[in-house]
Amino acid sequence: MSGRFSGRVCVVMGAARGIGLAIAERFGSEGARLACLDVSGRRLGPAVEELQAKGFEARAYGVDVGRRDEVHGAFEAIRRDFESPIAALVNNAVFARFQRLDEIDTETAERMIGVGLLGLVWTTQAAVAQMLQRGGGAIVNLSSIAAEHPTKDAIVYAAVKAGVIGLSRASAIELCAQNIRVNAIAPGMIGTPASIAQYDDATIAKRRSEMPMGRFGEPEEIAALAAFLASDDASYVQGASVTADGGWTVPSR
Amino acid sequence: MKRLEGKRAVVTGGGSGIGRASAIRFAQEGALVLVVGRADNAEETASFIKANGGKASAMITDASVEANVEAIVARCISDLGGLEVFFANIGVTGTNTPLLEQTTEEWSEVYRINTISCFLAVKYAGRHMVAQRYGSIILTSSAASLRANAGAISYSASKAAVNNLAQTAANAFAGAGVRVNAVLPGLVETKLTSKVFEDARTRGIEGKLGHVTPLKRPGRAEEIAAAAAFLASDDSSYVDGQLLSVDGGVSSTHPYGRIALPNK
Repeated sequence: MSGRFSGRVCVVMGAARGIGLAIAERFGSEGARLACLDVSGRRLGPAVEELQAKGFEARAYGVDVGRRDEVHGAFEAIRRDFESPIAALVNNAVFARFQRLDEIDTETAERMIGVGLLGLVWTTQAAVAQMLQRGGGAIVNLSSIAAEHPTKDAIVYAAVKAGVIGLSRASAIELCAQNIRVNAIAPGMIGTPASIAQYDDATIAKRRSEMPMGRFGEPEEIAALAAFLASDDASYVQGASVTADGGWTVPSR
Repeated sequence: MKRLEGKRAVVTGGGSGIGRASAIRFAQEGALVLVVGRADNAEETASFIKANGGKASAMITDASVEANVEAIVARCISDLGGLEVFFANIGVTGTNTPLLEQTTEEWSEVYRINTISCFLAVKYAGRHMVAQRYGSIILTSSAASLRANAGAISYSASKAAVNNLAQTAANAFAGAGVRVNAVLPGLVETKLTSKVFEDARTRGIEGKLGHVTPLKRPGRAEEIAAAAAFLASDDSSYVDGQLLSVDGGVSSTHPYGRIALPNK
Protein backbone atom coordinates (compact mmCIF):
# COMPACT_ATOMS: atom_id res chain seq x y z
CA MET A 1 0.00 0.00 0.00
CA SER A 2 1.34 3.42 -0.89
CA GLY A 3 1.96 5.65 2.04
CA ARG A 4 -0.58 8.27 2.94
CA PHE A 5 1.49 8.75 6.13
CA SER A 6 4.90 8.36 4.54
CA GLY A 7 7.51 9.92 6.83
CA ARG A 8 4.89 11.38 9.17
CA VAL A 9 5.16 11.03 12.93
CA CYS A 10 1.83 9.62 14.12
CA VAL A 11 0.93 9.31 17.79
CA VAL A 12 -1.48 6.58 18.85
CA MET A 13 -2.84 6.73 22.39
CA GLY A 14 -3.86 3.41 23.96
CA ALA A 15 -1.79 1.53 21.39
CA ALA A 16 -1.05 -1.65 23.34
CA ARG A 17 -4.06 -3.63 22.17
CA GLY A 18 -7.45 -3.68 20.49
CA ILE A 19 -8.45 -0.75 18.33
CA GLY A 20 -5.34 1.26 19.22
CA LEU A 21 -2.98 -1.51 18.14
CA ALA A 22 -4.96 -2.01 14.92
CA ILE A 23 -4.67 1.73 14.23
CA ALA A 24 -0.90 1.64 14.80
CA GLU A 25 -0.61 -1.32 12.41
CA ARG A 26 -2.70 0.34 9.72
CA PHE A 27 -0.86 3.65 9.97
CA GLY A 28 2.45 1.79 9.93
CA SER A 29 1.44 -0.08 6.79
CA GLU A 30 0.83 3.31 5.16
CA GLY A 31 4.30 4.57 6.02
CA ALA A 32 3.78 6.23 9.41
CA ARG A 33 6.56 6.65 11.95
CA LEU A 34 4.74 5.39 15.05
CA ALA A 35 4.83 6.80 18.55
CA CYS A 36 2.84 4.30 20.60
CA LEU A 37 1.59 5.33 24.03
CA ASP A 38 -0.18 3.30 26.67
CA VAL A 39 -0.63 3.35 30.41
CA SER A 40 0.64 -0.22 30.59
CA GLY A 41 4.31 -0.51 29.71
CA ARG A 42 4.01 -4.27 30.28
CA ARG A 43 1.47 -4.67 27.47
CA LEU A 44 2.95 -1.95 25.25
CA GLY A 45 6.47 -3.39 25.01
CA PRO A 46 5.52 -6.64 23.22
CA ALA A 47 2.99 -4.79 21.04
CA VAL A 48 5.62 -2.36 19.80
CA GLU A 49 8.09 -5.20 19.24
CA GLU A 50 5.43 -6.83 17.10
CA LEU A 51 5.07 -3.61 15.08
CA GLN A 52 8.83 -3.36 14.64
CA ALA A 53 8.94 -6.99 13.50
CA LYS A 54 6.56 -6.00 10.70
CA GLY A 55 9.13 -3.49 9.55
CA PHE A 56 7.54 -0.35 10.98
CA GLU A 57 9.43 2.38 12.79
CA ALA A 58 7.77 2.30 16.22
CA ARG A 59 8.68 3.53 19.68
CA ALA A 60 6.95 2.85 23.00
CA TYR A 61 6.12 5.42 25.66
CA GLY A 62 4.46 4.48 28.91
CA VAL A 63 2.26 7.37 30.00
CA ASP A 64 -0.79 8.04 32.14
CA VAL A 65 -2.84 10.24 29.82
CA GLY A 66 -4.79 11.54 32.80
CA ARG A 67 -1.68 13.36 34.01
CA ARG A 68 -0.92 16.58 32.13
CA ASP A 69 2.76 16.67 33.10
CA GLU A 70 3.34 13.08 31.99
CA VAL A 71 1.66 13.71 28.65
CA HIS A 72 3.69 16.84 27.92
CA GLY A 73 6.88 15.01 28.97
CA ALA A 74 6.14 12.07 26.66
CA PHE A 75 5.36 14.33 23.70
CA GLU A 76 8.63 16.21 24.21
CA ALA A 77 10.43 12.86 24.21
CA ILE A 78 8.67 11.93 20.96
CA ARG A 79 9.85 15.22 19.40
CA ARG A 80 13.43 14.44 20.41
CA ASP A 81 13.40 10.75 19.44
CA PHE A 82 11.85 11.21 16.01
CA GLU A 83 13.62 14.52 15.35
CA SER A 84 10.43 15.68 13.68
CA PRO A 85 7.19 17.24 14.91
CA ILE A 86 3.98 15.23 15.26
CA ALA A 87 1.77 15.17 12.15
CA ALA A 88 -1.16 13.10 13.39
CA LEU A 89 -2.66 12.22 16.77
CA VAL A 90 -5.20 9.48 17.44
CA ASN A 91 -6.85 9.74 20.85
CA ASN A 92 -7.91 6.18 21.56
CA ALA A 93 -7.04 5.87 25.26
CA VAL A 94 -9.96 5.25 27.58
CA PHE A 95 -10.69 4.00 31.06
CA ALA A 96 -14.15 2.47 31.06
CA ARG A 97 -16.26 0.96 33.81
CA PHE A 98 -19.96 0.29 33.54
CA GLN A 99 -21.72 0.97 36.82
CA ARG A 100 -25.29 1.43 37.98
CA LEU A 101 -26.02 4.97 39.13
CA ASP A 102 -25.94 4.05 42.83
CA GLU A 103 -22.61 2.25 42.39
CA ILE A 104 -20.72 5.13 40.80
CA ASP A 105 -17.86 6.10 43.08
CA THR A 106 -15.71 9.19 42.98
CA GLU A 107 -12.46 7.43 42.18
CA THR A 108 -13.80 5.52 39.16
CA ALA A 109 -15.75 8.46 37.77
CA GLU A 110 -12.82 10.83 38.10
CA ARG A 111 -10.49 8.32 36.49
CA MET A 112 -12.87 7.84 33.53
CA ILE A 113 -13.21 11.58 32.98
CA GLY A 114 -9.50 12.15 33.59
CA VAL A 115 -8.38 9.60 31.01
CA GLY A 116 -11.24 9.69 28.50
CA LEU A 117 -11.92 13.41 28.37
CA LEU A 118 -9.34 15.60 30.09
CA GLY A 119 -6.61 13.37 28.71
CA LEU A 120 -7.65 14.48 25.22
CA VAL A 121 -7.19 18.10 26.24
CA TRP A 122 -3.63 17.36 27.37
CA THR A 123 -2.65 15.35 24.28
CA THR A 124 -4.24 17.96 21.99
CA GLN A 125 -2.33 20.72 23.79
CA ALA A 126 0.97 18.86 23.49
CA ALA A 127 0.44 17.73 19.88
CA VAL A 128 -0.77 21.07 18.52
CA ALA A 129 2.39 22.80 19.73
CA GLN A 130 4.34 20.47 17.44
CA MET A 131 1.87 20.51 14.55
CA LEU A 132 2.36 24.28 14.36
CA GLN A 133 6.06 23.66 13.66
CA ARG A 134 5.15 21.75 10.49
CA GLY A 135 2.28 23.93 9.35
CA GLY A 136 -0.64 21.73 10.36
CA GLY A 137 -1.84 18.27 11.25
CA ALA A 138 -4.78 16.00 11.90
CA ILE A 139 -6.37 14.73 15.10
CA VAL A 140 -8.79 11.82 15.32
CA ASN A 141 -10.71 11.28 18.57
CA LEU A 142 -12.45 8.03 19.47
CA SER A 143 -15.98 8.67 20.70
CA SER A 144 -18.67 5.98 20.74
CA ILE A 145 -22.25 5.47 19.66
CA ALA A 146 -22.86 5.56 23.44
CA ALA A 147 -22.61 9.36 23.12
CA GLU A 148 -26.06 9.42 21.57
CA HIS A 149 -27.32 5.87 22.00
CA PRO A 150 -26.19 4.70 25.42
CA THR A 151 -26.92 1.28 26.83
CA LYS A 152 -27.61 0.84 30.54
CA ASP A 153 -24.98 1.29 33.24
CA ALA A 154 -23.21 3.79 30.99
CA ILE A 155 -23.92 7.15 32.61
CA VAL A 156 -20.31 8.22 33.03
CA TYR A 157 -19.16 6.46 29.86
CA ALA A 158 -21.84 8.15 27.73
CA ALA A 159 -21.01 11.51 29.30
CA VAL A 160 -17.32 11.06 28.53
CA LYS A 161 -17.97 9.97 24.94
CA ALA A 162 -20.50 12.76 24.32
CA GLY A 163 -17.87 15.08 25.74
CA VAL A 164 -15.41 13.79 23.14
CA ILE A 165 -17.77 14.94 20.37
CA GLY A 166 -18.06 18.44 21.84
CA LEU A 167 -14.32 18.58 22.44
CA SER A 168 -13.65 17.51 18.84
CA ARG A 169 -15.98 20.04 17.29
CA ALA A 170 -14.76 22.90 19.47
CA SER A 171 -11.14 21.93 18.74
CA ALA A 172 -11.94 21.84 15.03
CA ILE A 173 -13.19 25.41 15.17
CA GLU A 174 -10.36 26.69 17.31
CA LEU A 175 -7.56 24.98 15.36
CA CYS A 176 -8.87 25.57 11.84
CA ALA A 177 -6.77 28.68 11.35
CA GLN A 178 -3.67 26.61 12.15
CA ASN A 179 -4.51 24.10 9.39
CA ILE A 180 -5.29 21.37 11.91
CA ARG A 181 -8.28 19.14 11.32
CA VAL A 182 -10.10 17.43 14.19
CA ASN A 183 -12.69 14.72 13.64
CA ALA A 184 -14.31 11.99 15.71
CA ILE A 185 -15.17 8.34 15.20
CA ALA A 186 -18.14 6.71 16.88
CA PRO A 187 -17.62 2.94 16.81
CA GLY A 188 -20.44 0.56 17.62
CA MET A 189 -19.76 -2.86 19.14
CA ILE A 190 -16.24 -3.86 18.20
CA GLY A 191 -15.22 -7.44 18.81
CA THR A 192 -12.14 -6.81 20.89
CA PRO A 193 -11.57 -9.28 23.73
CA ALA A 194 -12.12 -6.43 26.22
CA SER A 195 -15.52 -5.52 24.83
CA ILE A 196 -16.75 -9.08 24.31
CA ALA A 197 -15.80 -10.00 27.88
CA GLN A 198 -18.33 -7.52 29.27
CA TYR A 199 -21.34 -9.41 28.00
CA ASP A 200 -22.92 -12.83 28.32
CA ASP A 201 -23.71 -14.94 25.26
CA ALA A 202 -27.41 -14.05 25.26
CA THR A 203 -26.68 -10.32 25.26
CA ILE A 204 -24.17 -10.74 22.45
CA ALA A 205 -26.66 -12.72 20.36
CA LYS A 206 -29.35 -10.09 20.95
CA ARG A 207 -27.02 -7.26 19.98
CA ARG A 208 -26.02 -9.03 16.79
CA SER A 209 -29.64 -9.55 15.86
CA GLU A 210 -30.27 -5.80 16.21
CA MET A 211 -27.53 -4.83 13.79
CA PRO A 212 -28.37 -4.46 10.09
CA MET A 213 -24.98 -5.97 9.26
CA GLY A 214 -25.56 -8.73 11.80
CA ARG A 215 -22.06 -8.70 13.24
CA PHE A 216 -19.68 -6.80 15.49
CA GLY A 217 -17.00 -4.69 13.88
CA GLU A 218 -13.33 -5.57 13.75
CA PRO A 219 -10.62 -3.28 15.13
CA GLU A 220 -9.13 -3.13 11.62
CA GLU A 221 -12.37 -1.58 10.33
CA ILE A 222 -12.08 1.29 12.80
CA ALA A 223 -8.39 1.61 11.91
CA ALA A 224 -9.27 2.02 8.22
CA LEU A 225 -11.67 4.84 9.08
CA ALA A 226 -9.11 6.49 11.36
CA ALA A 227 -6.58 6.30 8.53
CA PHE A 228 -8.99 8.05 6.16
CA LEU A 229 -9.72 10.85 8.63
CA ALA A 230 -6.06 11.36 9.57
CA SER A 231 -4.88 11.37 5.94
CA ASP A 232 -5.04 14.08 3.30
CA ASP A 233 -7.89 12.11 1.72
CA ALA A 234 -10.06 13.81 4.35
CA SER A 235 -8.65 17.28 3.65
CA TYR A 236 -12.13 18.88 3.56
CA VAL A 237 -13.56 16.86 6.47
CA GLN A 238 -13.55 19.02 9.58
CA GLY A 239 -15.43 18.75 12.88
CA ALA A 240 -17.24 15.64 11.66
CA SER A 241 -18.24 12.58 13.61
CA VAL A 242 -18.30 9.36 11.60
CA THR A 243 -20.18 6.37 12.94
CA ALA A 244 -18.95 2.83 12.20
CA ASP A 245 -21.46 0.52 13.80
CA GLY A 246 -22.68 -1.77 11.03
CA GLY A 247 -25.85 0.32 10.93
CA TRP A 248 -26.78 -0.56 14.51
CA THR A 249 -28.04 2.91 15.44
CA VAL A 250 -29.77 3.56 12.12
CA PRO A 251 -33.11 1.88 12.91
CA SER A 252 -34.98 2.91 16.04
CA ARG A 253 -34.65 0.16 18.57
CA MET B 1 -3.58 2.82 -3.15
CA LYS B 2 -5.46 0.05 -4.90
CA ARG B 3 -8.41 -0.50 -2.60
CA LEU B 4 -10.82 -1.10 -5.49
CA GLU B 5 -8.71 -3.54 -7.51
CA GLY B 6 -10.98 -5.50 -9.85
CA LYS B 7 -14.20 -3.94 -8.50
CA ARG B 8 -16.82 -2.86 -11.01
CA ALA B 9 -18.22 0.62 -10.29
CA VAL B 10 -20.95 2.78 -11.78
CA VAL B 11 -20.62 6.55 -11.36
CA THR B 12 -23.58 8.62 -12.52
CA GLY B 13 -23.12 12.27 -13.25
CA GLY B 14 -19.65 11.17 -14.25
CA GLY B 15 -19.08 13.74 -16.97
CA SER B 16 -18.11 16.59 -14.69
CA GLY B 17 -17.48 17.77 -11.16
CA ILE B 18 -17.68 15.31 -8.27
CA GLY B 19 -18.72 12.43 -10.53
CA ARG B 20 -15.79 12.92 -12.88
CA ALA B 21 -13.30 13.23 -10.02
CA SER B 22 -14.76 10.12 -8.37
CA ALA B 23 -14.67 8.04 -11.56
CA ILE B 24 -11.00 8.99 -11.95
CA ARG B 25 -10.20 8.23 -8.30
CA PHE B 26 -12.03 4.86 -8.41
CA ALA B 27 -10.07 3.93 -11.54
CA GLN B 28 -6.80 5.01 -9.91
CA GLU B 29 -7.60 2.60 -7.10
CA GLY B 30 -8.04 -0.24 -9.57
CA ALA B 31 -11.78 -0.22 -10.30
CA LEU B 32 -13.33 -0.80 -13.69
CA VAL B 33 -15.64 2.19 -14.05
CA LEU B 34 -18.82 2.68 -16.04
CA VAL B 35 -19.04 6.46 -16.40
CA VAL B 36 -22.64 7.52 -16.86
CA GLY B 37 -23.70 10.96 -18.04
CA ARG B 38 -26.29 12.68 -20.15
CA ALA B 39 -23.75 14.24 -22.49
CA ASP B 40 -20.53 13.52 -24.35
CA ASN B 41 -18.42 14.57 -21.40
CA ALA B 42 -19.03 11.11 -19.90
CA GLU B 43 -17.07 9.76 -22.88
CA GLU B 44 -14.39 12.34 -22.16
CA THR B 45 -14.07 11.14 -18.54
CA ALA B 46 -13.78 7.52 -19.69
CA SER B 47 -11.18 8.48 -22.32
CA PHE B 48 -9.20 10.41 -19.73
CA ILE B 49 -9.18 7.36 -17.44
CA LYS B 50 -8.06 5.06 -20.27
CA ALA B 51 -5.37 7.52 -21.39
CA ASN B 52 -3.99 7.38 -17.86
CA GLY B 53 -3.82 3.60 -17.72
CA GLY B 54 -7.19 2.93 -16.10
CA LYS B 55 -10.17 0.89 -17.22
CA ALA B 56 -13.46 2.59 -18.05
CA SER B 57 -16.32 2.73 -20.45
CA ALA B 58 -19.03 5.33 -20.91
CA MET B 59 -22.79 5.27 -21.21
CA ILE B 60 -24.83 8.27 -22.32
CA THR B 61 -28.17 8.12 -20.58
CA ASP B 62 -30.39 9.94 -18.08
CA ALA B 63 -29.95 8.21 -14.72
CA SER B 64 -33.17 9.68 -13.31
CA VAL B 65 -35.33 7.44 -15.53
CA GLU B 66 -36.24 3.99 -14.20
CA ALA B 67 -35.68 1.98 -17.38
CA ASN B 68 -32.33 3.69 -17.87
CA VAL B 69 -31.10 2.82 -14.37
CA GLU B 70 -32.08 -0.80 -14.94
CA ALA B 71 -30.14 -0.64 -18.21
CA ILE B 72 -27.10 0.93 -16.50
CA VAL B 73 -26.92 -1.96 -14.04
CA ALA B 74 -27.35 -4.51 -16.84
CA ARG B 75 -24.71 -2.79 -18.95
CA CYS B 76 -22.18 -2.72 -16.10
CA ILE B 77 -22.69 -6.42 -15.48
CA SER B 78 -22.50 -7.39 -19.16
CA ASP B 79 -19.62 -5.09 -20.18
CA LEU B 80 -17.52 -4.97 -17.03
CA GLY B 81 -18.44 -8.40 -15.71
CA GLY B 82 -20.22 -7.43 -12.50
CA LEU B 83 -21.20 -4.63 -10.14
CA GLU B 84 -19.83 -3.97 -6.66
CA VAL B 85 -20.07 -0.18 -6.34
CA PHE B 86 -22.81 2.24 -7.42
CA PHE B 87 -22.26 5.96 -6.86
CA ALA B 88 -25.59 7.75 -7.47
CA ASN B 89 -24.44 11.27 -8.06
CA ILE B 90 -26.77 13.18 -10.39
CA GLY B 91 -28.49 16.32 -9.18
CA VAL B 92 -30.10 19.67 -9.93
CA THR B 93 -30.11 22.80 -7.80
CA GLY B 94 -33.73 23.94 -7.92
CA THR B 95 -34.45 27.66 -8.09
CA ASN B 96 -34.38 30.46 -5.59
CA THR B 97 -37.98 31.43 -6.30
CA PRO B 98 -39.55 32.75 -3.07
CA LEU B 99 -41.12 29.85 -1.17
CA LEU B 100 -44.69 31.10 -1.46
CA GLU B 101 -44.39 31.23 -5.24
CA GLN B 102 -42.81 27.83 -5.80
CA THR B 103 -44.61 25.28 -7.91
CA THR B 104 -45.38 21.61 -7.59
CA GLU B 105 -43.76 21.17 -11.01
CA GLU B 106 -40.41 22.44 -9.75
CA TRP B 107 -40.56 20.29 -6.63
CA SER B 108 -41.51 17.19 -8.60
CA GLU B 109 -38.64 17.73 -11.01
CA VAL B 110 -36.06 18.36 -8.27
CA TYR B 111 -37.25 15.30 -6.34
CA ARG B 112 -37.28 13.17 -9.47
CA ILE B 113 -33.68 13.98 -10.30
CA ASN B 114 -32.17 14.28 -6.81
CA THR B 115 -34.14 11.75 -4.77
CA ILE B 116 -35.91 9.27 -7.03
CA SER B 117 -32.65 8.71 -8.96
CA CYS B 118 -31.18 7.51 -5.66
CA PHE B 119 -34.14 5.24 -5.01
CA LEU B 120 -33.67 3.74 -8.48
CA ALA B 121 -29.97 3.21 -7.81
CA VAL B 122 -30.77 1.49 -4.53
CA LYS B 123 -33.45 -0.62 -6.19
CA TYR B 124 -31.58 -1.88 -9.24
CA ALA B 125 -28.01 -1.93 -7.93
CA GLY B 126 -29.37 -3.30 -4.66
CA ARG B 127 -31.17 -6.14 -6.41
CA HIS B 128 -27.92 -7.35 -7.93
CA MET B 129 -25.84 -6.70 -4.83
CA VAL B 130 -28.25 -8.42 -2.43
CA ALA B 131 -28.22 -11.48 -4.69
CA GLN B 132 -24.43 -11.60 -4.58
CA ARG B 133 -24.43 -10.52 -0.90
CA TYR B 134 -21.85 -7.81 -1.48
CA GLY B 135 -21.82 -4.21 -2.55
CA SER B 136 -21.53 -0.56 -1.63
CA ILE B 137 -24.02 2.09 -2.71
CA ILE B 138 -23.10 5.73 -2.23
CA LEU B 139 -25.61 8.55 -2.57
CA THR B 140 -24.65 12.18 -3.08
CA SER B 141 -26.45 14.32 -0.58
CA SER B 142 -25.39 17.81 0.54
CA ALA B 143 -24.60 19.96 3.57
CA ALA B 144 -27.86 21.66 2.55
CA SER B 145 -29.70 18.52 3.67
CA LEU B 146 -28.91 19.37 7.30
CA ARG B 147 -29.42 23.13 7.37
CA ALA B 148 -31.45 25.85 5.71
CA ASN B 149 -29.88 28.59 3.60
CA ALA B 150 -27.24 26.40 1.97
CA GLY B 151 -29.15 25.95 -1.29
CA ALA B 152 -32.61 26.18 -2.81
CA ILE B 153 -35.45 25.02 -0.58
CA SER B 154 -36.54 22.20 -2.88
CA TYR B 155 -32.89 21.15 -3.16
CA SER B 156 -32.41 21.08 0.63
CA ALA B 157 -35.55 19.04 1.14
CA SER B 158 -34.76 16.61 -1.67
CA LYS B 159 -31.29 15.99 -0.21
CA ALA B 160 -32.71 15.45 3.30
CA ALA B 161 -34.81 12.70 1.73
CA VAL B 162 -31.61 11.21 0.29
CA ASN B 163 -30.13 11.07 3.79
CA ASN B 164 -33.11 9.17 5.05
CA LEU B 165 -32.99 6.84 2.06
CA ALA B 166 -29.38 5.97 2.92
CA GLN B 167 -30.54 5.00 6.40
CA THR B 168 -33.74 3.20 5.44
CA ALA B 169 -32.04 1.33 2.61
CA ALA B 170 -29.17 0.26 4.89
CA ASN B 171 -31.80 -1.04 7.28
CA ALA B 172 -33.80 -2.73 4.52
CA PHE B 173 -30.66 -4.56 3.38
CA ALA B 174 -29.97 -5.84 6.90
CA GLY B 175 -27.76 -8.90 6.83
CA ALA B 176 -27.43 -8.83 3.04
CA GLY B 177 -23.85 -7.59 2.88
CA VAL B 178 -24.85 -4.43 1.03
CA ARG B 179 -23.88 -1.10 2.56
CA VAL B 180 -25.60 2.20 1.76
CA ASN B 181 -24.12 5.53 2.80
CA ALA B 182 -24.42 9.17 1.79
CA VAL B 183 -21.68 11.72 1.24
CA LEU B 184 -22.60 15.32 2.09
CA PRO B 185 -20.43 17.82 0.22
CA GLY B 186 -20.30 21.45 1.20
CA LEU B 187 -19.61 24.16 -1.36
CA VAL B 188 -17.61 22.64 -4.24
CA GLU B 189 -17.15 24.13 -7.70
CA THR B 190 -19.11 21.93 -10.10
CA LYS B 191 -21.55 22.45 -12.93
CA LEU B 192 -24.27 22.91 -10.30
CA THR B 193 -22.49 25.70 -8.47
CA SER B 194 -20.59 27.31 -11.36
CA LYS B 195 -22.88 30.36 -11.29
CA VAL B 196 -22.01 31.04 -7.65
CA PHE B 197 -18.31 30.87 -8.44
CA GLU B 198 -18.59 32.91 -11.65
CA ASP B 199 -20.61 35.62 -9.90
CA ALA B 200 -18.06 35.82 -7.10
CA ARG B 201 -15.21 36.13 -9.61
CA THR B 202 -17.03 38.80 -11.60
CA ARG B 203 -17.61 40.77 -8.43
CA GLY B 204 -14.01 40.25 -7.28
CA ILE B 205 -15.04 38.49 -4.09
CA GLU B 206 -13.80 34.99 -4.91
CA GLY B 207 -11.89 35.02 -1.61
CA LYS B 208 -15.23 35.12 0.21
CA LEU B 209 -16.33 31.76 -1.17
CA GLY B 210 -16.58 29.24 1.61
CA HIS B 211 -15.72 31.87 4.22
CA VAL B 212 -18.47 30.63 6.54
CA THR B 213 -16.78 27.23 6.79
CA PRO B 214 -14.15 26.69 9.48
CA LEU B 215 -11.66 25.72 6.77
CA LYS B 216 -12.37 29.08 5.11
CA ARG B 217 -12.45 27.79 1.56
CA PRO B 218 -14.63 25.84 -0.83
CA GLY B 219 -13.94 22.14 -1.28
CA ARG B 220 -12.45 20.51 -4.36
CA ALA B 221 -14.20 17.76 -6.27
CA GLU B 222 -11.18 15.51 -5.59
CA GLU B 223 -11.79 15.85 -1.85
CA ILE B 224 -15.34 14.52 -2.22
CA ALA B 225 -14.00 11.78 -4.49
CA ALA B 226 -11.55 10.70 -1.76
CA ALA B 227 -14.45 10.29 0.67
CA ALA B 228 -16.50 8.42 -1.96
CA ALA B 229 -13.54 6.09 -2.57
CA PHE B 230 -13.37 5.38 1.16
CA LEU B 231 -17.10 4.56 1.23
CA ALA B 232 -16.78 2.44 -1.94
CA SER B 233 -13.88 0.42 -0.57
CA ASP B 234 -13.67 -2.22 2.14
CA ASP B 235 -11.92 0.39 4.28
CA SER B 236 -15.47 1.40 5.25
CA SER B 237 -16.64 -2.20 5.74
CA TYR B 238 -18.34 -1.44 9.09
CA VAL B 239 -19.77 1.94 8.01
CA ASP B 240 -23.42 1.52 7.02
CA GLY B 241 -26.38 3.91 6.87
CA GLN B 242 -24.15 6.91 7.60
CA LEU B 243 -24.05 10.51 6.43
CA LEU B 244 -20.44 11.57 5.84
CA SER B 245 -20.04 15.34 5.79
CA VAL B 246 -17.18 16.63 3.62
CA ASP B 247 -17.91 20.29 4.03
CA GLY B 248 -14.94 22.02 5.62
CA GLY B 249 -16.73 21.83 8.95
CA VAL B 250 -19.70 24.02 8.06
CA SER B 251 -22.30 21.58 9.38
CA SER B 252 -20.52 21.16 12.70
CA THR B 253 -20.67 24.80 13.71
CA HIS B 254 -22.55 28.04 13.78
CA PRO B 255 -21.43 30.22 10.84
CA TYR B 256 -17.78 30.74 11.50
CA GLY B 257 -16.11 34.07 11.92
CA ARG B 258 -19.16 36.23 12.47
CA ILE B 259 -18.96 36.37 16.24
CA ALA B 260 -15.92 38.03 17.74
CA LEU B 261 -15.22 36.68 21.19
CA PRO B 262 -12.62 38.29 23.43
CA ASN B 263 -9.57 36.09 23.87
CA LYS B 264 -9.16 36.74 27.58
